[in-house]
Amino acid sequence: MAVRVIIKMPGRQEIERLYDAHAAALFAFLLNLTRAEADTRDLLQEIFIKFVREPHLLAGIREERAFLIRLAHNAAIDLMRRRGSRERTKEIFAAEIISPFAPACDPDEKVFRDELSSALGELPAEQRAVVHLKLWGGLTFEEIAAALDIPPNTAASRYRYGLDKLRGQLRPLYEEMKKAER
Amino acid sequence: MNDDTNQFEDRLHRQPLRPVPHEWRAEILAAARSAARPTPHASFLATFNQQLASLFWPHPKAWAGLAAVWIFILAVNFSLRDPSPRVAEKSAPPSPEIMVELRQQQLLLAELIGPHETHDADRRKIYLTRPRSELTETLTT
Repeated sequence: MAVRVIIKMPGRQEIERLYDAHAAALFAFLLNLTRAEADTRDLLQEIFIKFVREPHLLAGIREERAFLIRLAHNAAIDLMRRRGSRERTKEIFAAEIISPFAPACDPDEKVFRDELSSALGELPAEQRAVVHLKLWGGLTFEEIAAALDIPPNTAASRYRYGLDKLRGQLRPLYEEMKKAER
Repeated sequence: MNDDTNQFEDRLHRQPLRPVPHEWRAEILAAARSAARPTPHASFLATFNQQLASLFWPHPKAWAGLAAVWIFILAVNFSLRDPSPRVAEKSAPPSPEIMVELRQQQLLLAELIGPHETHDADRRKIYLTRPRSELTETLTT
């Protein structure tokens, strides 16, 4: 006997709940990857439309955040591949301007965030993704590995490489700020 | 060193991220809701068009250029095709003198090689139509 599985389309409330629970994290992650607000918006919308059109995607998912991060990462990587070299120059230019961090009132903090944003922009996308998810996504290496479909050791090594590069770039500024704080 | 690394990580961790622009919520949710509505039956052409668009995306100009190049190559190929068969079809039939000459040559050739043919035919008969035992006798005699 054939069993027909009927998957109910997520309702309005369900989509709103998903948005309220995860949009902020996805926004920051996508913005850090794409470095373009318009692209981030398009990708975020694409993800929510995907959920509505393919409700089975959510069936049996225990870690919604990790699953959404995975969707967002894949969508961002697809976008970057589609762009190709023609847009790369524009992306590099954008990397200097678009910051994933909130604007700071304190001038020293502002300088640090700008420098951090710039240093992050210079990291390879795979390292940037891991660094972002570890530092600002609050994910463990196991969760990052599951979200990005990589082994946990790879996630850990990418994080260390990325962090070392950031430290190398931000060291003078960081040391200066530490001295000032003392 | 390890302590310094932890401090550095803490410092990075404390950096607040940009919030999602408020207006996005309504826009994105509206787009998702409209996507959820069942669309009227798409026509075959619309579906075909969509399939083509997804196939040829992201470089439709490149695909169009490639198609144009192929059309050009085919056109050149057809225009340069060897016209000899058509010439043969259109050429006039051989004159009766030539036909007579040809027949005479054929007869002459038949006379020249005729005896050989019969000789060959006889030999074939010797070898093929008789049983092996008789064949050896014929060869020894």
